[in-house]
Amino acid sequence: MLNLILKRLALAVPTILILIVCSFLLMHAAPGGPFTAERALTPEILANLEAKYGLDQPIYKQILIYIRNIVFDFDFGPSFIYKDRTVNEVLAQGFPITLTYGSIAFFFAVTIGVSLGVTAAIYQNSLLDYFAVGITIGAQVLPNFVMAPILVLVFTLLLGWLPGGGWDYSDPSYLIMPVIALATSFMASIARITRSSMLEVMNANHIRTARSKGLPTYHIVLRHALKPAMLPVISYLGPTFVTMITGSVVVDMFFSTGGMGLFFVNAALNRDYSVMMGITILVGILTIFFNLVVDLLYAWIDPKIRF
Amino acid sequence: MRTKLLLSAALSAMLVFPIVSNAKTINGEKLAEEQVFTYRLLDDIKSFDPQINTDIEGSGVIRDLFEGLMNEDAKGGLVPGTAKGYSVSEDKLTYTFNLRDAKWSNGESVTAHDFVYAWRRLVDPKTASEYAWYMELMGVKNATKVVKGEVAPDQLGVRAVDDKTFEVTLEKAIPYFASMTVHSSTFPVLKSVVEKHGAGWTKPENIVGNGAYILSEYRSGEKVVRERNVNYWNNENTIIDKTVALVINDENQALTRYLAGEVDKTNIPSGQYPRLSKEYPGQAVSNPYSCSYIYWFNVGEKGPESLKDVRVRKALSYAINREVITDRILQGGQYQSYNFAHQKTAGFELPEIDYAGWTQKERDDKAKALLAEAGYGPDNPLKLTLNYNTSETHKKIAIGVSQFWKKTLGVDLTLSNSEWKIHTTKQQAGEFEVSRYAWCGDYNEASTYLDLLTSYSGHNVSGYSNPEYDEIMAESKTMENPNPNYAKAEKILARDMPFAPIYQYTGAIMLQPTLRGWPVDNLMQRFYSRDLYIVEK
Repeated sequence: MLNLILKRLALAVPTILILIVCSFLLMHAAPGGPFTAERALTPEILANLEAKYGLDQPIYKQILIYIRNIVFDFDFGPSFIYKDRTVNEVLAQGFPITLTYGSIAFFFAVTIGVSLGVTAAIYQNSLLDYFAVGITIGAQVLPNFVMAPILVLVFTLLLGWLPGGGWDYSDPSYLIMPVIALATSFMASIARITRSSMLEVMNANHIRTARSKGLPTYHIVLRHALKPAMLPVISYLGPTFVTMITGSVVVDMFFSTGGMGLFFVNAALNRDYSVMMGITILVGILTIFFNLVVDLLYAWIDPKIRF
Repeated sequence: MRTKLLLSAALSAMLVFPIVSNAKTINGEKLAEEQVFTYRLLDDIKSFDPQINTDIEGSGVIRDLFEGLMNEDAKGGLVPGTAKGYSVSEDKLTYTFNLRDAKWSNGESVTAHDFVYAWRRLVDPKTASEYAWYMELMGVKNATKVVKGEVAPDQLGVRAVDDKTFEVTLEKAIPYFASMTVHSSTFPVLKSVVEKHGAGWTKPENIVGNGAYILSEYRSGEKVVRERNVNYWNNENTIIDKTVALVINDENQALTRYLAGEVDKTNIPSGQYPRLSKEYPGQAVSNPYSCSYIYWFNVGEKGPESLKDVRVRKALSYAINREVITDRILQGGQYQSYNFAHQKTAGFELPEIDYAGWTQKERDDKAKALLAEAGYGPDNPLKLTLNYNTSETHKKIAIGVSQFWKKTLGVDLTLSNSEWKIHTTKQQAGEFEVSRYAWCGDYNEASTYLDLLTSYSGHNVSGYSNPEYDEIMAESKTMENPNPNYAKAEKILARDMPFAPIYQYTGAIMLQPTLRGWPVDNLMQRFYSRDLYIVEK
């Protein structure tokens, strides 16, 4: 096990390097740059800007300087668009916000999703099943960019219960709508995967054996079915968790949370090279880490799996 | 030296708006207990640094945090700011500003040296300001040379005669020079603070300003809060205690939050003005806004052969039914446009443009005749590509125009949509046939538009070049009243048609009924929080 962890961590280094180089090149290949504006800059002003931000160097040099600054100083550079701030500052503000609402949304998506999926599978083709499937399909087809404005319309304008947007760590009322908007569709996917996986397991031989022994249903589900049924769910949860905690552009946009999701999209549109790279690397590292966590969970759940 | 002190101290005292006779009432209206003004920002503020900021919303915040030499009043007229007034030399090349006794938010005095520092900083290659061109546009002596690195920043034509006297030397006389000092790029900054904290000097814990407010809280992507600066020279007459700008990206979401009472001012989403003005009379306001929307025709080297023929360009422009665009698509009271400069620009007299007076039928007939004359018709249809950047409104207008051109002229128009940066890059490289564009004025004077079409303008992407036009614009710079030349210039544009004017902007906004003092008549839509106040419901 330790071997696996060490091996994967060693592999992570070249993976991140490849990620950096590829994103760097792709980004610079996109037409326009951070200083492309409605009014074209004179060559002199552009040259001054490029000199200030090191864009006048050949690209391989830019990559080397970039990597060196990260490795030795943990410095992701200044933002090219938000000129008063560094990428570190942008991430330090944005990531904790998305991490907060993302983790909470993840918690609800998993608990509700798994419960719904299991219930639907156990009571397959019953009213309960139809109800659960109905909810999940409804939740999945309702995109969050439709749901977000509806939520604000209902809870802010009509009922006046919740603030229409903004962020305050000390006030949970700001969290409610972002969490609902983010969790719903993931909850639906989790429920569907759980249901179909659970159905498969419930028809497996060892469950039939358990049933024939006369074990009570709750015992069969909790002791024998749930663990193997969770395998496909867990492989879905790894990347999903990363997606959720690194923010959703829709949530950030509609609820003005100040989270990282919107920064990422804006950075891409504004060609804010440094912010885009910073977030890409962060997402890359988180993805590698949680894929490792998923693999470890696999080994723990299914002793047959050996790495 | 002929000195004319345009604005005396007495006059400036009168102009202080509003005059508070009784601390609790203004014009017979009772002031609300809580003087907090909240408005919506489309995007996060990119910088609070006057010399670094490039966008309009950023300028709005900076105008509260800092104060330049001159300000604008509610109608866009020039009023004293940190300067009590100014005098101009006989040759109009030297401006001398007399500064009032104003203080920075840390208690230090605002001096002419602070302006000298800020103005040099704007053009200093080390600052690498994207707005360095503004000082070149102002014609300050040596600005261009400093930007190019040919001379040191201390060679810029500015100097502090003494602590309270700031002198500017220009390379060429610019009649509207003083009005250019209301732009936030020219605002003073305090050297000691900038040098101590570097790029982070604008953080709420570091920033020192000379405006009516100080930056008290900034949460990127969420909100910008500024609170009263007790050291501001006119703090006594400032009513709003706190201004909150909320970043709400989606305009419909912003409207919902306005209706829920969370914001006092927001923009009206396109197409919703008629409905909102019926449902909320008095709250939905549409007023002129200094921007002009056009379609460039590429007449340059990389442009298509067809567009080099003025008859083709005229035909295309005539065939656009602007009434449909303003009244059916935009519906926010926008102006149909047959010229370039916004028709409400101060002092600008819109000349008589021939096709503006025709009916659409007449324009269409003329367009058909011109295009046929140029050799295009059913057997030889004109083929063009129209570039626009991603936006619902641009798309609707592009579809509208493609229909007008198709139906009236049989033009085979390909619509090409791209993301904004790509659109702009192509446009500036001259790689387009017809391309969407909008220009917003930097100052309230027609040359902010008309200079663009000179052959030497860096923003003239069409490849249009007419010596007669260049001459008229060059001459306008030295005229006491340049407006007759602007009228001539517009007539040349209507004759040569290097672009098709489409419409001129209005700012359609919602204002809470308790908010007073919003400068609805200011064409630049420049507001200062200190001019606003909230009355009781």
